[in-house]
Amino acid sequence: MSFFGFDTPRHNPAATGFSQVHNPFAGLSGQDNEGEALEFEDTYDGLGDQLEETNDAFNDDTFGDDSAAVKGPVGKDFDFFGQTAKVSNAIEEEHVRFQRQVPTARVAQSAARVAQQPFSQTVPAAASYNYPTQSVSKPARSGYEKYSQEPVEELQVDAALWGVAPKKHTAPAPAPAPTAVPAPTQTVFYAAAPSSAPAGRKILSLEEVEAQMRAQAKRPLHQAASSPAPPQPQVQLHQAHPQMHYEQSYQYAHPVQPQVNAQADDLRPKEHSYHLGQTQPQPVYPAQTQPVMILQRPQSKHAPSPQPPIQHSVHQRQQSATPAQPTQILQNPNRLSGDAAKLGIPSHPTPPTQINPPTHPVHRQQDSFHMHPSQMMVHPSLLGQFSEEDKVAYLDQEAKRAKRNHKIYQMSRDNGIMTPQDKNFITRIQLQQLVAATGNPNEHGTDEAFAEDFYYQVHNQIQGGHRQHPSQPLNNFAQTYLFQTGSRQGGLRRQHRGPENHMQRMEQQVQRAVEAAKNKPKNKQLVIEGSLGKISFSNAKTPKPLLNIKRNDSASEANRPGSAHRTHTLNGRDRKSELRSIELVYTTLMKMEDHDRIMPPRPANDIDTKAIHDFIAWNNEAQALNQQLWKALRVHDRPDSNNVHPFIALLSYSKGMKAMQRIFRRTSQEQRITILTLIVVNFDTLDVVRNAQATTGEMQLNAAMRENVELFSASVMSTLFNIMNELELNLVAGVLGLVCSRNVDVIAKSRIGVAMLTMILSRAEIIKQSSGGTADAWHSWDATYMQFFNLLEPTLPHVFPGTVNSGDDIYVWQFLAAIGIEASPDQQSRLVLAVKDRVMDTVTLAKTLPQDLATPRLQNVNLFMRSIGLDVELLQ
Amino acid sequence: MAEVGHEGNSVSEPLDLVRLLLDEVVCVKLRGDRELKGRLHAYDSHCNLVLGEVEETIYVVEDEDEDDEIKTVSRKSEMLFVRGDSVVLISPQSRSY
Repeated sequence: MSFFGFDTPRHNPAATGFSQVHNPFAGLSGQDNEGEALEFEDTYDGLGDQLEETNDAFNDDTFGDDSAAVKGPVGKDFDFFGQTAKVSNAIEEEHVRFQRQVPTARVAQSAARVAQQPFSQTVPAAASYNYPTQSVSKPARSGYEKYSQEPVEELQVDAALWGVAPKKHTAPAPAPAPTAVPAPTQTVFYAAAPSSAPAGRKILSLEEVEAQMRAQAKRPLHQAASSPAPPQPQVQLHQAHPQMHYEQSYQYAHPVQPQVNAQADDLRPKEHSYHLGQTQPQPVYPAQTQPVMILQRPQSKHAPSPQPPIQHSVHQRQQSATPAQPTQILQNPNRLSGDAAKLGIPSHPTPPTQINPPTHPVHRQQDSFHMHPSQMMVHPSLLGQFSEEDKVAYLDQEAKRAKRNHKIYQMSRDNGIMTPQDKNFITRIQLQQLVAATGNPNEHGTDEAFAEDFYYQVHNQIQGGHRQHPSQPLNNFAQTYLFQTGSRQGGLRRQHRGPENHMQRMEQQVQRAVEAAKNKPKNKQLVIEGSLGKISFSNAKTPKPLLNIKRNDSASEANRPGSAHRTHTLNGRDRKSELRSIELVYTTLMKMEDHDRIMPPRPANDIDTKAIHDFIAWNNEAQALNQQLWKALRVHDRPDSNNVHPFIALLSYSKGMKAMQRIFRRTSQEQRITILTLIVVNFDTLDVVRNAQATTGEMQLNAAMRENVELFSASVMSTLFNIMNELELNLVAGVLGLVCSRNVDVIAKSRIGVAMLTMILSRAEIIKQSSGGTADAWHSWDATYMQFFNLLEPTLPHVFPGTVNSGDDIYVWQFLAAIGIEASPDQQSRLVLAVKDRVMDTVTLAKTLPQDLATPRLQNVNLFMRSIGLDVELLQ
Repeated sequence: MAEVGHEGNSVSEPLDLVRLLLDEVVCVKLRGDRELKGRLHAYDSHCNLVLGEVEETIYVVEDEDEDDEIKTVSRKSEMLFVRGDSVVLISPQSRSY
């Protein structure tokens, strides 16, 4: 082993320029030949070279000019305090300078870093002090010679030193550490880096050490402490030079300490004994123990407790050298990740740190494993005392913990980005949106939902069928929403009362705001006392009233007849009033339909008084609405003289006709018959009858009227037909009698009128076919029919619309057929006479027409002919 | 003929008058010299309208000649949504009974 194998030429460049950018692989290129034997190229990262340079400071300690003089009493005259005091100022200055240069370099990201940080930071100081001596005392050495010479021991030492390769420790002759070390995990690799540095260092004899001490006394103590010289002690140890080793180790302070501790078990006891028996001044030891205390708390017990003043100064220096960060990291490994994340990266680029081993690529790699170092810091010291299983278990645990910490770090990267206030704010926004979207959750299931999106609700109702229970949510959407809001309001709040306190408060605030907003539109105006004007609120649903027309009953009472009078004089009809009636009908209808939706369940039994009460209340309300509708229909209004009945007027409008089906659905049978009667009584005043008279000419009804006729037959007549089909014969006779009381001529000449008459007659025929009706009823019917036929007879030739060519007269033939069936033989002959011309014309026309056009016409005629027992064939 | 019951339906705001025209044929005058004539299906407070069977008439002033001849261009649409901000007036179609 070459103690003096310092490679001066290689060392100098780096030593002189401690701030130079370090090339971790510079050593590789320069020392390939030495390493080849051990195949270092593959694994060795050149850390050793670098460390060697930094450790050149130790050369002064070991081989300094004073070395010869200091051979005497070992440790007795260690005056580290005094020496340190001298240089402490200088060191402080250096530290300050260094810290300025590398403010972030403090952040140790790996154990190696932490352990070596002190060195690196003190190195500048050390360099400045040491350089002369170093250059003088250093022998030329490659730094790798020992690998070839005593590889086994060296390697073993290295591995165990850092406690990362415990198996090497137990197995005294493992493969060369540098080769073996980098291979496994990064942790190991990292451990290898520092260990490789020691490899390049020589082993000192006791005398040398003492001399070194002396020399060091003149130099910053810290520098000595900071230079890593781990391997030597171990080697010496194995060479049965414990004493020396201890001196060294203690002299080399912190770096050594962990290594020593991590070393073989045998080392520990000796060390202890050494501590106990040592007569050397205490001040030295503190320098050694201080880092231990910082780095490895558990271990401090083995370090002597004496804490002379010098220790304090050293300690302070140490701390200034090793800024708070590493210490923190060590003490709180979990925090390391965060700190490293914040500070570790910037530390790399700074040149001064590049002196440090930690900045090696290898170490940088470890940045991603921030946790490892800190954990490794602890365990090298303890690991030595563990059994194999314990070590394995410990390492395993460590790995797990590291993994977990890493995970936590990954996840917690964005922690704290949002302040609680931010979160509150977001929550508030969400709540507001929620409330705005749904309205007050309490109002679900009421008209509010319908008011908000009527069509969706109705559509859903139609799609999903009727609810079994009116109070149950209308649909899944509503259900979900109700559930959500419910749980939000109830469940959550109750469950997490404590943590959700602010949430709860916020919800309350929002609710209050919503309630206030809901109340606001109700009083559309706000009159502030003392103000001249009013403040009106408006929203989309209730726009701000631009005209402030007071709803004064008396005023409108006085107003309306006036306008009615005006319109009345203009076109004989109060059009606006009719339209208004229709709107009222629609409004009422919508209310009724809404009301139908909230129908409570029919009380299951008599006990459920609440249900009964609800049902009664609902019925009463329905009744009231029905009355309102009935009133709006103005069925019982008496028309002014020469005026159409108000209800009939409603049927002049398409929307009035369209409303009929809905009206009939929500009126009683009695009301329906009343309406039917009313319509029949006023049939000749219906627009679609009165203004749609059949003419013999070619003139057709205008499009609007034809449309109205279509609409009327589709909406009103179909409705009336349903009622008619339920009427008894006496009522049918009554209806026919009513028709007779009107202008039968007008009725019969309109398509609607003819349809109506056909309807009545067919109903009677159906009753006759089913043998319904009493004799009295039939007697009355026959009398009525007789009267009707007499009234109708003169009109019969004119009931046909247009000429025979127009062709759309099927309804007339149907009507004639209905008459023919009911007619007596005498009436039938009169009937034939009345329509004979039309029949003959149609037959004649049919002969001139192509077959496909003629056939339907003849069939139409045949409808009538067969009703009286004839056939078109007879005429041809 | 005027009953108190109908007073609940009385006009309280201008658009109540428009409501009476629902499902009726109305004439709508628009900005940009346009007129619409069609059945009013729906409206809202902004006078947005939905009209059916609409005939749109655009009055174009031909300035080729000096006498400023006014021509009309018209087209029909089955259904129209009219944005309210262009509506100038809504009037019932003059009907003859």
